[in-house]
Amino acid sequence: MELKKLLVDALKLDDVTPEQIEDAAPLFGEGLGLDSIDALELAVAIERRFKVSIPDEEVGKKAFRSIDTLAEYVSTHAK
Amino acid sequence: MKNALVTGGTRGIGRACALALAEDGFAVTAAYAHDDVAVPGVTTRRVDVTDAAAIDALCAEIEFDVVVLAAGSRRDVLLAMMPEADFDDVLRVHLKSAYLILRRALRPMIARRGGRVIAISSASAILGRPGQTHYAAAKAGLHGLVRSLAREVARYGITVNAVAPGLVETEGTQSLDARVREELLAGVPLARAGRPEEVAHAVRWLASDAAAYITGQVISVDGGLT
Repeated sequence: MELKKLLVDALKLDDVTPEQIEDAAPLFGEGLGLDSIDALELAVAIERRFKVSIPDEEVGKKAFRSIDTLAEYVSTHAK
Repeated sequence: MKNALVTGGTRGIGRACALALAEDGFAVTAAYAHDDVAVPGVTTRRVDVTDAAAIDALCAEIEFDVVVLAAGSRRDVLLAMMPEADFDDVLRVHLKSAYLILRRALRPMIARRGGRVIAISSASAILGRPGQTHYAAAKAGLHGLVRSLAREVARYGITVNAVAPGLVETEGTQSLDARVREELLAGVPLARAGRPEEVAHAVRWLASDAAAYITGQVISVDGGLT
């Protein structure tokens, strides 16, 4: 839920509440419909909040597949 | 206190930029690869701009508000006689370094919604110069990078510009032979070489709040050469 809140706050998703985001639903394209600018914003927000770096788009693509994959990425890379 | 990074900041134009920004109240880090020279009021640090790991470490440690890309060297050679290593080196130092630094330095600027990027280019990128095909290509490449990046990060209040000096009196240009110098000066309406401080003035202005509405530009400081 912390991740979902961060997502909504960082990307200013006015028409989505954290509760509405499904754990396994795709964040980009279909699903939430995020774009490359959102991906950058999200990477920056996660870096600052969790001290976990998402160094580039290749890593981002995998990590940002869904809330589930993002949570896993953050927990495995947290220092 | 705001942090500024000046690559190539211990000598020549970079040094003048580091001194000017320090004078304007920035905590300045001057990065150098070879020229371990003290700069009054400025922290110097060995960071090779082609070394991604060293850049990552620097940017993990300090969040920069201003980044001035002034690292570079001249190695003039005619294209048909140019060793492949020279071409690669010049593109790495002048162009790829911008990518390596900015991909890290921009993130804190994005998070904090503001920042300044200033790339030192060259009149050679605009006019061309024999012996500088690699250098001019790299600098012209920087112009494209600056214009594109300006559009990417404008939404975060970050401005990205280039300053293109002409002939400037530095240790680097003192090695030019007299004939070349004369030839260069013949094209300069103000009929003299510039001083590093005159380039630094444009840089400090672009780094200041006064230049908040200027982005994606290449500003020539060349005595009218271009």
